[in-house]
Amino acid sequence: MKKTNNKKDFKVPEGYFEGFTDKLMERIKTSNGDQKNLMLPKSDGFKVPDTYFEGLHSKIQSKLKEDETKVIPLNPWRKQLYYAAASVAIVVLLTIAVQFNQSPELTFESLANSDIEDYFEQTDLGFSTYEIAEVIPVDDLEVSDILEYQFKDENIIDYLDDDIDNIEELNLLDND
Amino acid sequence: MIAEETLLDELRRPETLDKAFEVLVNTYKERLYWHIRRIVLNHDDSDDVLQNTFIKVYKNINGFKGESQLYSWMYRIATNESLTFLKKKSNKMGISDAELQGRMVSNLQADVYFDGDEIQIKLQEAIARLPEKQKLVFNMKYFQEMKYEEISGILHTSVGGLKASYHLAVKKLEAFLKED
Repeated sequence: MKKTNNKKDFKVPEGYFEGFTDKLMERIKTSNGDQKNLMLPKSDGFKVPDTYFEGLHSKIQSKLKEDETKVIPLNPWRKQLYYAAASVAIVVLLTIAVQFNQSPELTFESLANSDIEDYFEQTDLGFSTYEIAEVIPVDDLEVSDILEYQFKDENIIDYLDDDIDNIEELNLLDND
Repeated sequence: MIAEETLLDELRRPETLDKAFEVLVNTYKERLYWHIRRIVLNHDDSDDVLQNTFIKVYKNINGFKGESQLYSWMYRIATNESLTFLKKKSNKMGISDAELQGRMVSNLQADVYFDGDEIQIKLQEAIARLPEKQKLVFNMKYFQEMKYEEISGILHTSVGGLKASYHLAVKKLEAFLKED
């Protein structure tokens, strides 16, 4: 084997090469991603009552039965009377509506903005942010349409300086 | 364990529905419970949400198109039920989502079904501060040890996006835990 340091013009500490592999392995271990997670506890401390899972199916079944149980009316004839009265009321209302059909039709434009805003605030539409993002034309939007506070460029740069540890992380989506 | 296609087939036939539903509940109750529990934190709330999740599954099983796996569909229902539950709770209390998260973590110390130590409470505090998506991804990956491919099927997010979310979440949590 060819010697790489024949003239011995450089020296290394005694025993350097003997301990090199161990030192290197230790370093690889500590820089490993899994090792970093050791900072976080592996369990979260949540418990469940004893035998909770054993009784779950019957609890769900009884809830389902409750939902399916129909209320039997005590006076069925009374129900028919209500239907008859309701039918008469509908005929009368329709007649009036046809005769006085001069009033303007209710359109979306006739709704007050406050009513629309109120509806969105009070009603749980069940849309995720992703579903909303799909129907909103992002190209037509400016940040100022959403935020009341106007950000200056220096605010944004300050935020990026303070809160983003590594700017390259922002490109992770493309790299993975 | 019964194959998913067979179970699905039995769930769709009225004569085998109840028996198959029992199998379904027994197969997935624990996994879904822990998924819900890590979102709503409290046991009683988790119990309510879990029951509602299974009731929705029972009532809508015929509407399940089979475009994704059955368990992904159930996890999605459980996730939506949990998030909707929290939304309704904060609306009812007239407080913001962040404020509700803070209160939920403070209540942990008095919770008989939580025996975490100081570091585990601090971890929950840190998780509560994460954006919703990172919180979900972290819990599913770290505590439930799910694969990115499985999480991707549930949250409809690319594996790359999930890796980025998880990476950012771990960094933020570590930074928070390092603070004094």
